[in-house]
Amino acid sequence: MATAQSPLLYDKVVRVTHVYLGPAADRFIARQVQNHLHKSPQELSPPDLLKLIDWIRLGVSLITDDSEIVEEYANQLLKLAQSPGKSKSQA
Amino acid sequence: MKRTSSALRSYIWLTGLFFLLIITLPANHLTMQQYKLSAVQYHTLLLLVELPLVAVWFAAFYGYAKLEQYATAIRDTPEGPAFQQLANGCKWLAWGLPIPSLLTLLLGAIANNHASFHATTIIIGNYAGLIFPLIAFGFISESGRELIQRAKLNFTATTAKNIQFIFVVLGVIYCYLIFRHLDLHSIAATNNQYFLPVWLLVLTLIIPYLYAWFIGLLAAYDILLIARTAKGIFYQQALRLLASGLAVVIATLIAVQYIRSVLPRSGHLSVSATFILVYAIYAATAAGFILMAAGANRLKKIEEI
Repeated sequence: MATAQSPLLYDKVVRVTHVYLGPAADRFIARQVQNHLHKSPQELSPPDLLKLIDWIRLGVSLITDDSEIVEEYANQLLKLAQSPGKSKSQA
Repeated sequence: MKRTSSALRSYIWLTGLFFLLIITLPANHLTMQQYKLSAVQYHTLLLLVELPLVAVWFAAFYGYAKLEQYATAIRDTPEGPAFQQLANGCKWLAWGLPIPSLLTLLLGAIANNHASFHATTIIIGNYAGLIFPLIAFGFISESGRELIQRAKLNFTATTAKNIQFIFVVLGVIYCYLIFRHLDLHSIAATNNQYFLPVWLLVLTLIIPYLYAWFIGLLAAYDILLIARTAKGIFYQQALRLLASGLAVVIATLIAVQYIRSVLPRSGHLSVSATFILVYAIYAATAAGFILMAAGANRLKKIEEI
């Protein structure tokens, strides 16, 4: 389990996503990880992040035509890739 | 998908039955004389006049089906039950459009051959027009309150005062306009266009209508407030579409009920300024249902991708 000081990478991704998808954020990220990375959300690790961002970008493009916000969202997630949190196995 | 097809199937059945009744039921002699129509011309005119209404029904059934789909998609989430209530409310609103029309058509045909049944037709038509929105606004209001409490939101004192003021003004004008049609010398008199004694009219039509409108307007405000303060750019955009659509639907249906009860039903087809105004408002209702469907569709997409 992650401590309060070092949240799981998954939680960080959800926190960023919350700004864009609100209450649907957790469910959305869990689905992306499970369906496209074939992992449980807690097992999300830094090497998965770029692939996950690609899937998220693709998914979000289906609900909006506003490419600027999509890019802004992807960039926020890319920042996590540069300073990733811990996966469950590392925590 | 299953829910859309179930709603659309219901719509097709209701529309089919409605058209069948329009074509087969005997023509209204009063309308035929008034507009100098033959029976065939009467049925054709009635069909043409009712066509826009059938289009509004379609928008309503499509809208509630989309909202039900979204509610089903999130049924296991914390906000799931509130959206299920909202979908139920919209379902009652949608069914509340064709059922009173069908009932009025059927009863009107009976009254056409049995003049003594005319009063019963008007009374049942008035109650049918009340019961559906009363139940629907109840569901929608419950849903709005639940979502408001979950989001820990509430009215400011100014907003509460404004809502009360608007409601008092609408209510008092409504009572004034209704009472103009009544013989107030005796509360038991039924010689009015509602065919009800004044006391019964007040207790079973005026008060329930005012109550329904009050909770309906409050629910519309609640839903708009939730959408305005919701977190998540994409989520909020979709929720705003849904909330705006729902607010338009509630406001326009209240407007139609207001007009219909202030200007009592005649029981036969009459192409007047009121009739055109009601149709214009119904067009806005249809637009509201379509907006609502678009919002629900977008929210559902967020849950699917």
